[in-house]
Amino acid sequence: MVSDLIDQDDRFRGILDRLTSKSIDDYYNPYRLFEWPASLPDDMWWMSPELTTTHGSEAAATLSQEQLFALSRYESINFYSLNVHGIRELLIEVVRRIHTTGFETPSEFFHHFIGEENEHMWFFAEFCLRYAGRIYRQPGGGVAIPSAPSPRVESLLVFARILIFEELVDHYNSRMALDEQLHETIRAINRIHHQDESRHIAFGRELVEHIFDDVRRTATDQELLDISSYLRRYMAYSFESLFNPQAYRDAGIDRPLELRRALLDAPTRAEAERRVFRKTLKYLEKTGIVR
Amino acid sequence: MASAGIEKVRDWILGRHPERTELAEDVRLLDSRLVDSLSFVELVYVIEDASGAEIDFDSIDLEDFQTVAAIERAFFARGES
Repeated sequence: MVSDLIDQDDRFRGILDRLTSKSIDDYYNPYRLFEWPASLPDDMWWMSPELTTTHGSEAAATLSQEQLFALSRYESINFYSLNVHGIRELLIEVVRRIHTTGFETPSEFFHHFIGEENEHMWFFAEFCLRYAGRIYRQPGGGVAIPSAPSPRVESLLVFARILIFEELVDHYNSRMALDEQLHETIRAINRIHHQDESRHIAFGRELVEHIFDDVRRTATDQELLDISSYLRRYMAYSFESLFNPQAYRDAGIDRPLELRRALLDAPTRAEAERRVFRKTLKYLEKTGIVR
Repeated sequence: MASAGIEKVRDWILGRHPERTELAEDVRLLDSRLVDSLSFVELVYVIEDASGAEIDFDSIDLEDFQTVAAIERAFFARGES
């Protein structure tokens, strides 16, 4: 069981204690922390230009500065909407496991995790609703966890997916937090999220590695291969969700689906995907979770 | 006679499964996992592109996506009844 493995590992128990203390020390009231101006200027970047999906593409070269600003605005709303949906899905899975057999030891930290994720979902939703009047939707509310050969494999997929999602988001947060071209409110929500996610990612990497060690002891080679290929597909899926035709449509692009396809097929996509998941893939390959 | 649009959808599904050469119109796409949760969004975009319709994610009925015949009925048969 996961708790047994953690209990036998002084290092992981030490990390859990440190992360829990840090969550308590860094606690803040998100409902008072941010300044929410009535509106944010249209004539500026809402997302760092090098992080937008059209960056470096042939399509971007044909767009005016005004259109590029609008694209960055709606792409940022898509990015925060993805956060809202992703957080809802991960909260459901963590709440399902807290204080259940096998998860006794990490449950203390789960309380901080759940509390902080709820607050992140609030400020991302608040941003979307205040400045775009909407949260972009996902069909069926999210992506189901595939049926797994055992509860251990299911937990591995759940926490590996959470980690992949958090690392993807953090790539963007850590850069936008420092980008002086962006409005201070935008920088602040990215900065605060990056600060909290650093703890969640540190925890997630340890937890996923422990669950994988547990799974590996009894799983067949085919089951391990299936886990690896599913997680590779999940990374590609997560990256592709940044290319939302609805955001392109809202930014005034004529043929949004064509633009999405062209961008996904362009060489710039592979480079951007590699940059976003460089550290994640290194970790997943080093641990043997992804082959 | 199947429309060109629904053939685009069928070709996209077959393109993801090189082991298959044909796809009958009553094969359960979601139940058989020919389209799984990670490829469902892409299926929606392929249907939008082929049909010209905008599909509202909030009001999706999964039964409309279960078979090629159901997709054709829901998104390609407008104005023919």
